[in-house]
Amino acid sequence: MLLNMKEEGMSKKIITRRDFLRVAALTPLAGAFAYGLKFPEAKEATEKARVVLIRDENALRSFKNSNPDVIHRMLDEAVATFFNEKDPIAAWKKMIKPSDIVGIKSNVWGPIPTTREVEQAIKRRIIDAGVAEENIGIDDRGVRRNPIFRKATALINARPARTHHWSGMGTCIKNYITFAPRWYEYHDDSCADLATIWKDFGLKEKTRLNILVMLNPLFHGIGPHHYSDRYVWEYKGFLVGQDPVAVDATGMRIIQAKRREFFGEDRPLKPPAKHIFLADTRHGLGVSSSDQIELIKLGWKGDILI
Amino acid sequence: MKKIVWLTVFFFLQILPFPFFAEGAGFMANDSKDLMTTLQTLLPREINGWKAVEKDEFYDPQTIFDYINGAGEVYRSYNFKFLLARRFSKTGQPDLVVDLFDMATSEDAFGVFTHDLEGEEAGVGQGSTYKGGLLSFWKDSFFVSIYTEEETEEAIAALFALGRKVDSSITKEGKEPEVVSFLPRKNLAEKAVHYFHNHMILNYHFYLSDENILLLNQKTEVALGIYAEGDDKNYLLLVRYPEERKASQAYEKFIQAYMPDAQEPGLVQTEDKKWTAARLRKDFIIAVFNASSASSAKEAVEQVEKKLSQE
Repeated sequence: MLLNMKEEGMSKKIITRRDFLRVAALTPLAGAFAYGLKFPEAKEATEKARVVLIRDENALRSFKNSNPDVIHRMLDEAVATFFNEKDPIAAWKKMIKPSDIVGIKSNVWGPIPTTREVEQAIKRRIIDAGVAEENIGIDDRGVRRNPIFRKATALINARPARTHHWSGMGTCIKNYITFAPRWYEYHDDSCADLATIWKDFGLKEKTRLNILVMLNPLFHGIGPHHYSDRYVWEYKGFLVGQDPVAVDATGMRIIQAKRREFFGEDRPLKPPAKHIFLADTRHGLGVSSSDQIELIKLGWKGDILI
Repeated sequence: MKKIVWLTVFFFLQILPFPFFAEGAGFMANDSKDLMTTLQTLLPREINGWKAVEKDEFYDPQTIFDYINGAGEVYRSYNFKFLLARRFSKTGQPDLVVDLFDMATSEDAFGVFTHDLEGEEAGVGQGSTYKGGLLSFWKDSFFVSIYTEEETEEAIAALFALGRKVDSSITKEGKEPEVVSFLPRKNLAEKAVHYFHNHMILNYHFYLSDENILLLNQKTEVALGIYAEGDDKNYLLLVRYPEERKASQAYEKFIQAYMPDAQEPGLVQTEDKKWTAARLRKDFIIAVFNASSASSAKEAVEQVEKKLSQE
């Protein structure tokens, strides 16, 4: 039924549990989540999305305390590799013009924020790319009021990876919810259509880079605050890419792998992070299937999980 | 002065969402003020050397997203009225955070407790769990969550002492939702009963459909039981509608959307070779999913019907 949506011109149809059972019965990937499936013709036509995973064993000085020098070096290497450049500043100049007004969309969530070290490393390179400091803003919940963000011509989207009580996972896609005046309007069906924010507020074209911070990802949550130190692990990495869906889908696979390792069984995210897959199959924001993602792994490989 | 003006605007015009603080109580309607005072009296200011810090924060269904982001949907879906958040500190120890929810009814306090049953029974309130530094329990019309930012021995002792203190401050006990009592007990898995109202929470526990094909809303009462059947699980859903006409409309919609290919009325074998059975009975819909055979699906429905007939 889901596969017929394209033939029906993507008209809205009811998707039930039985659609997932049907897809699972048809595919060798037992239990595959139907939102992740693609239309074959679209798959052939799409170029692979590049995602860089970089990790460093020394990225953290202590629990949840990152090392600024190492963070800066990791970001440089990831961005230079992503753009096939040796010099990280040359790579940043491929994204950012000196005339740009740049918003660094951060995330201030208390237990695991984007971190000041990551924010400052990004800001340093934007300045190095020629942007005046007064034309660079860093914000999260105040973006709608922030004058830099209101007139921004470019955005860098950086947030931590974590499971999320309502959307399954806190993602780069989801990080833009603070651009919406009424967040709850995007909560329906476990935030299934979060990708529409990127279109509703003209964010897709402005976004130059997505950074999913995986220094201390949260792979499971409990209680009203959906947090316990017990479910944070030191992965000491970042995922970097221009396709937010590819970055998030890769991050989700790492988190799923961690859950499998920790719980000793396949324990899917609850609720499933369907907004990642629907950002691909329903909204065309990017690609989510691993065979459409070129994953480049840099640095430390211990317990890489992907 | 600026804050007072803002608080006044909020309480009289009800247009700007943001948390409000105890010091603003003088500008509130009497009902709100009474509720806040009631919540405050249920919490101590000090426990095992941890002292309340900062001002109490209060949130309502409009402002809760400022505090707990998307998880606010869970509490809104259980019709909560007020949340009091109080933080406790002690030098050299992690903070404790208490979230005390006034759910207005004991049914909803029970329901929101059943949303997340992960953890061990902790012997506090009318039902409780502890895991990973989080103690949750319900009693009367209150749901309480106490969280330590780090699991030190001393912090856990204080957390439980605080839980027991709040438990003893709530003198009344509340009743569980009647609809839950109609779930058969045989083979019911441990910590496997959820009570809720709307389809967002149904999908959280058991994904049924992206659309609300059972026409659930804040006035419907839903009990979901998870049953062990060999190595498998099956799911029994019982929905009570405010009136028979609405149950009938919902049943028709459900049958049309979920089992248009029914082998017999209200019975279908799904793509995983399991069986789903559904039946309308007055203001109830009974549905069983994932049963291993047609007969076991029908039998489960009949067990509930029998219980309902004794109502």
